[in-house]
Amino acid sequence: MAAVIKTINLTKRYGSLVALSNLNLEIQEGDCFGFIGPNGAGKTTTIKILATLLQPTWGEARICDMVVGFQSRQIRPLIGYVPDSFGAYEDMVVQEYLEFFAAAYGIHGLHRTKIVNDVMELTDMGHKRDALVDALSRGMKQRLSIARVLVHDPKVLLLDEPAGNLDPRARIEMRELLKELRRMGKTILISSHILPELADLCNTVGIIEQGELLYSGPVAEILARARTGRVLHVSVSSNTQLAMTLLAADPKIVTVTPHDGFIKIGVNEEVEDASFVAELLVKNGFRLTMLKEEEVNLETAFMRLTKGIVQ
Amino acid sequence: MIAVARDIFWRLIPANPILLRIIAMAGKRRRDMVIRCAYLGLLCVWVVMWLLTLAGKSDLGELAKASATIFQSISYVQLLLVALLAPVFTSGAITQEGDAQTYDILMATPLSNAQIVLGSLLSRVYFIIALLLSGVPVFAITQIFGGVGQDNILYSFGIAAGTAFLTGAIAMALATFRIGTRRTIFGFYLFIVMYMVGLVLLDRLPMLQVTGGAVAAAADSHISWLTGLNPFLALQATFGRAEYTPPLMSDLPEALRYWPVSWYLTSPHTFYITCTFALGMALTVPSVIFLRSAAQSSVTVRQWLLLKLRLVRSVTVRKPRTVWHNPIAWREAKTKASAARMTWLRYGLLAAGLAGAIWTLVRFSTVATPAQYINRDAFNTDLRLVTILSNDRAPVYKYTAGLTIQLDDKPVRIERLTGRYGVKDYSVDPRDKQSINTLKLFTMPRGLSLADAQKYLLMLLLLEMAVVAIVITNVAASTVTREKEDGSIDLLLSSPITSRYYLWGKLRGLLALALPLNLVPIASIFVFVVYDIYRWITEGGEFQWVVFPEAIILAPLILMVLTALGGVVGMQLSLRCRRTVTAVMVSVGITVGVVGLMALFGMAVLDSHSFSNIPLVVASFSPASVIWMLAAPLSTNNRIFLEGDADAIVQARVAIFIGSLIATAVYAAVIWAVYKTMLKNFDMTIRRQAR
Repeated sequence: MAAVIKTINLTKRYGSLVALSNLNLEIQEGDCFGFIGPNGAGKTTTIKILATLLQPTWGEARICDMVVGFQSRQIRPLIGYVPDSFGAYEDMVVQEYLEFFAAAYGIHGLHRTKIVNDVMELTDMGHKRDALVDALSRGMKQRLSIARVLVHDPKVLLLDEPAGNLDPRARIEMRELLKELRRMGKTILISSHILPELADLCNTVGIIEQGELLYSGPVAEILARARTGRVLHVSVSSNTQLAMTLLAADPKIVTVTPHDGFIKIGVNEEVEDASFVAELLVKNGFRLTMLKEEEVNLETAFMRLTKGIVQ
Repeated sequence: MIAVARDIFWRLIPANPILLRIIAMAGKRRRDMVIRCAYLGLLCVWVVMWLLTLAGKSDLGELAKASATIFQSISYVQLLLVALLAPVFTSGAITQEGDAQTYDILMATPLSNAQIVLGSLLSRVYFIIALLLSGVPVFAITQIFGGVGQDNILYSFGIAAGTAFLTGAIAMALATFRIGTRRTIFGFYLFIVMYMVGLVLLDRLPMLQVTGGAVAAAADSHISWLTGLNPFLALQATFGRAEYTPPLMSDLPEALRYWPVSWYLTSPHTFYITCTFALGMALTVPSVIFLRSAAQSSVTVRQWLLLKLRLVRSVTVRKPRTVWHNPIAWREAKTKASAARMTWLRYGLLAAGLAGAIWTLVRFSTVATPAQYINRDAFNTDLRLVTILSNDRAPVYKYTAGLTIQLDDKPVRIERLTGRYGVKDYSVDPRDKQSINTLKLFTMPRGLSLADAQKYLLMLLLLEMAVVAIVITNVAASTVTREKEDGSIDLLLSSPITSRYYLWGKLRGLLALALPLNLVPIASIFVFVVYDIYRWITEGGEFQWVVFPEAIILAPLILMVLTALGGVVGMQLSLRCRRTVTAVMVSVGITVGVVGLMALFGMAVLDSHSFSNIPLVVASFSPASVIWMLAAPLSTNNRIFLEGDADAIVQARVAIFIGSLIATAVYAAVIWAVYKTMLKNFDMTIRRQAR
């Protein structure tokens, strides 16, 4: 499958500050790529370069096999860019706002009216058609931003923190909207600080810190990579201290610590089947009330892979 | 009770944390210190220069006179500085608090409304007051030689301080009631400058002079009804000059000897000082009362007014308009140009400009009919009869070939008498009472003389041109920077819109805004040209135009050049600057500076003693000078217009016409070159600023 977005040694410097350093990224068609990183890691810079707004100092960025900077004019109709801030548009109502951008993409006449109506229906903005953009809530403004980038039906969506500062309901609605777009076959690059949402939405992620890409690949792979040995949570009905002593004596178990009323067990990495823990406890007369493996989520992976260095 | 009041007062100003923070910081800021030192240095240099001119003089009277002159010039410099700086320092209050949301934080503290309002107001005028105070020692020097009273110094400081205080209070009221936005700052500044300059110009109108009673006879004073309303005029009234001395109460007509009119006329400076402080306080009181409630309101005063006046149905909903093929041009023309302030500006300028032109025309066309007069039909050349017309009778006299006719004390032939003329005097032949020997005529006085009509029209046209140039430059200068500031430019740059399309759209939008504004001076000229043509047809003879008719062709060209010049200068700066304030200030400065310098150059060239047409062609390169030559040629002091015969004047007009066409072509080429440069460098300039 062809990479819709590809960067090769992408580097951007602002004077002595290195915002991006040899970034190599590949996003396939139809992927939803979550771009994760601390503040100042280089996410917005990458998105801005891909949106043809910035020139890289070094390296190359390609969209649909066209080089940003050299073929920007051909790239622009293919992308839809949502910045982290909503550009203020004074004295414009929602329909005018969408028609304004449709006209900017060369869509005119009745075709424009139809497209704007369709997009408003898709994004559930129809009831706000006559509302002044300035007077919209933050959630509605973000929804309008998404509607804006859909009027020209781009192949690639570049979304910079689209759910930032939204309330829980607006975030959930935004996530559902993005899922729908993914189902429609759009390739999405989305940066966000809300990692559980990215895990739910994206099939691939990239972790960036200090301008360097630490990881890029499927979500499942990063979770597996972040896992350092297996951790089990065990709870017994009584004699917890005794159970801990028993478990600690087993050579397959590395660590045993009490944790919020249950026992946290670190199992040797080489052990594939952890059922021996249950067996051991039951055989020794303990009543097992809980046994589960600790989950490694995107937040854990992020914390383990990054150092928390902010530029 | 006293202790409580003292405590409240103590917290209100001396211990006001907002004011204290500004004062504490101001002392440490190098920039403020440098400005103060530079100001003081300038005043010192000024005084020393004057003192050097007095070297060797020992006449005390002369020294006192010189000292008074120094004082007056320094007072003007001080007031000018305050008038220019006060709006700059105080206008920030309109939006700064709102932008930074520091107001919300302040209002969540236990600080009272009065503490917040007074603290903000005084901290904004603090710099101006500190600047004024730093000049006190220099003013004291002028007292050494006499000629300057302490009261004069007090009045000078009072007028400057009152101006600063009132400006600050207006800005604070605008901020409190959320009338202002970021764009209001420029309008606020423009309004204050126009008020200051406009009233000084209007002060010269004869109709506004204080007359009646013994005023004119007593002091030969040109003091006007506007003196107490303008700081520069009020300051002028304190200098005790014969030509601008306020009348005494005894000089006033009986009808004006009542308070406060008598106070206003006899002491305009004290009236100004008192009123500015009182008005400042009056504006501060509602700000104090409504600060928190206005902040809590979800509707701004402007929105409330629009709703109450039923100009809008809702402040959040409106019927969508059709977006043009070029969305950039649509946005410029519809969402910016059609914004309320621009609508007001357009219609305000249109109404004021046309009202001024029509008023001047009506005054000029009004002729007071004298007791006796003749018209073109008064002479029956076949029967050699002349009829002297009057209200109640029309005596008919015979005349011979030896009849002497004088028009305005100059001999004139019957054939040249084509209009209506007043009869000053005539003598009847003593031998034949039915015949007249001499007939002395005079041109019937108009409500406004030709020279005055030309001056008023010129003033009007120059003012309108200045407003158009400044407004267009301001709008053009903010057009790209505002999009950079709010981030909306990124949305457009990531779309397929090309730089040519973007800039062309901007220029088209500006054109849509500029056209109605430019129609105002063109319409003013048009009504005069139409009336002039009517006069020319009906009167004939030695006809003098109020405005040369070719102005109807040249004025649109000149205005187009001026508009385009302001537009490209503004847009160029808007592309290069990151901040709107910088772009607007620099581009308006450049436009005003270039046009002003060219006007001065043009006037200097015209004032030469040459009888050649070359200076006229050269002066045609200055837009203001062309308008000057077309509307008030005599006031240019050019020899051709003053002394030239009809043929020379026609040649001069041809030279102006050709010169203006060449100048328009040259300007168009320059503007086109700047536009092409903008296009070429657009991507590089914008992307270099991208972060």
